[in-house]
Amino acid sequence: MSAEEDIKQKLAGRFPFLQDKITVKRDRRIFLDVGIDNFKEVLQFALKELNFTFLCTVTGLDDRDRFSLMYQLDQGSGIMLNIRTSILRDDPVVDSITPIFPNADIYERELVDLFGIKVKGLPKGERYPLPDDWPAGQYPLRKDFKIEDLDKKENI
Amino acid sequence: MGIVSKVINWSRLKSPWVLHFNTGACNACDIEIVASLTPRYDLERFGVQLKATPRHADILLCSGPVTRQVKDRLCRIYEQMPEPKFVVAVGTCACSGGVFRGCYNIEGGIDMVIPVSAYIPGCPVSPKALMDGLVKLLKSLEEK
Amino acid sequence: MAEEFRVPIGPQHPALKEPASFSIALKGEKIIGVDVRLGYNHRGIEKACEERTYIQDVYLVERICGICSHAHSTCFVQAVEEIAGIEVPKRALYIRSLIAELERIHSHLLWLGVAAHEIGFDTLLMFTWRDREIVMDVLAELTGNRVNYGINAIGGVRRDMGKDKIPEILKRINVLEERTKYYIEVATQETTVVNRLSGVGKVKKDDALKLGAVGPTARASGIARDVRKYDPYAAYNELSFDLITDDHNDVYGRTIVRVKELIESYKMIRQILKDMPDGPIAVKAPRKIPAGEAVSRYEAPRGELMHYVKANGTDKPERVKVRTPTLANIQAVKHMLREMYLADVPIVVAAIDPCFSCTDRLIELKDIDKKDSSVIDWQRLRQYSIEWYRDRGIDFKK
Repeated sequence: MSAEEDIKQKLAGRFPFLQDKITVKRDRRIFLDVGIDNFKEVLQFALKELNFTFLCTVTGLDDRDRFSLMYQLDQGSGIMLNIRTSILRDDPVVDSITPIFPNADIYERELVDLFGIKVKGLPKGERYPLPDDWPAGQYPLRKDFKIEDLDKKENI
Repeated sequence: MGIVSKVINWSRLKSPWVLHFNTGACNACDIEIVASLTPRYDLERFGVQLKATPRHADILLCSGPVTRQVKDRLCRIYEQMPEPKFVVAVGTCACSGGVFRGCYNIEGGIDMVIPVSAYIPGCPVSPKALMDGLVKLLKSLEEK
Repeated sequence: MAEEFRVPIGPQHPALKEPASFSIALKGEKIIGVDVRLGYNHRGIEKACEERTYIQDVYLVERICGICSHAHSTCFVQAVEEIAGIEVPKRALYIRSLIAELERIHSHLLWLGVAAHEIGFDTLLMFTWRDREIVMDVLAELTGNRVNYGINAIGGVRRDMGKDKIPEILKRINVLEERTKYYIEVATQETTVVNRLSGVGKVKKDDALKLGAVGPTARASGIARDVRKYDPYAAYNELSFDLITDDHNDVYGRTIVRVKELIESYKMIRQILKDMPDGPIAVKAPRKIPAGEAVSRYEAPRGELMHYVKANGTDKPERVKVRTPTLANIQAVKHMLREMYLADVPIVVAAIDPCFSCTDRLIELKDIDKKDSSVIDWQRLRQYSIEWYRDRGIDFKK
């Protein structure tokens, strides 16, 4: 059995709700979908039991009816585990994973600035990447963001 | 022009003091500017000196498409330069915004914010093009 | 001593209008805390990618960074090719790897010069950038440009390489290798250099991992991760080379890793030129990319670069996410600067090999005892740092 299949089995074994939700796309690429209530457990398990010790990044996506969040981990063997969860677009809130992966800090700030997602428990710090005078309520990576709206709200 | 202006122009022509400022560029142009000062191109033999403060600069070499974050500082730097002063837009981004034109955090070319005296396109500008552009600017001062 | 570097700049306090890139809390000359503020050259590229076609995006992402432009364009096309199920011809993979290693060489030589400049060793800057011109010439001859090579297409590369070019490239690689051996000597045996680089910016292996460090910064703390080895792409699974690590955990280690990596790059280039297979350089790619997603990784000179692309069946991507190695490494800088002297800031920051624009910003200094703060620019901080070390007998002008 390949290392990827082995990881898939271990995950499904530990978390029965992940059955059918794990895909080995190709060598070194595993994707899984998990609900917002369980994603932290899965993250912890991946770190502590499966040796996914490195967080590459956190990627936000606007799926129009929801926001998707991908937590992208690396094992050092080259195998990447991409853990996808989703949150409501109307009230986008997610817990910070900085207690598990301290370097999630800057990637979670991107979610705040570019998608308007509230990240609970994010340590105090500077915003990233937008400037301080960026108009409130304008989230560039949302699909309904229009650059013309930006100018309308500004004092020229 | 008067004799004093002629003398000032002559000395500026002989050794322009240059301030380099990056307004959010990818750094390619900035590296080529620094490369121009290394032995192979040696911009310094034309008397061009890189200065650290706007107050001593005759020429502002500006790269980048001007991000929102940097717009104010660019204006301030321009204001701090003593007259007569010249601005050179180095690279396609500085000329027009380049590939970043239309991006939400970008103003566009340098001339959206401050007046530009010379445009040197290129992505990035090669050291040779930079020297060519600077010499043309200095020649045009001579003709005034 | 503390008064010398308090230089208010401009009629208005700049920190009010524009955040400093670094905010350093000092007790006397010692750093007790650092805050980093980024976003200086945030251009909105990810959004722009969604609004342009895949072909336009190849040229756009190439300009994310002017030092590792090939890294970005290759990483991007790899993701798109994976989604579309395109099998890139071997010859194209070899050409991509050749340009990749040439880019690494120019980047590491550039870095050596920049690091030298930060510690006041300008002679080394001139030497390394002179040698770097050799690589720039090769790149220009192969691709038509010194930077932003435009060599990639979705499905392969746009230009072939004539066999007649090989002897000249090999000759130049030999020259570079000789010069690099000299740089290794300088880095390891020149007392002043060793003194400036050793013991500063320390990060232990476990911390480096938790802080998300990548590339030479991580490898200098003993982390044996190099995308070319463990997640190979292009032609790397067919090339033989060593993964360079060091266990000094400091700036000196980061220097050693980079100069040794240069030697490995020369090795790889010779192999590539010898073993490059004949054949086509590209296959046709569809304009519309079928729905799907892929994560592509690439070992850029600064470390692991990651592109995530999601396609939706049209000729424009649904989402493009770019995670640069500098963003991964900058978080480690806060940790590295704890307990350091202010004079160490320039070389510690330079040692992660950040974009120039990071160091083009202002630095806020907060004196905890005197309860006041001031703003300084990078040039002044560098000058202060060189003079501070000169006062302690570490001086390149001796």
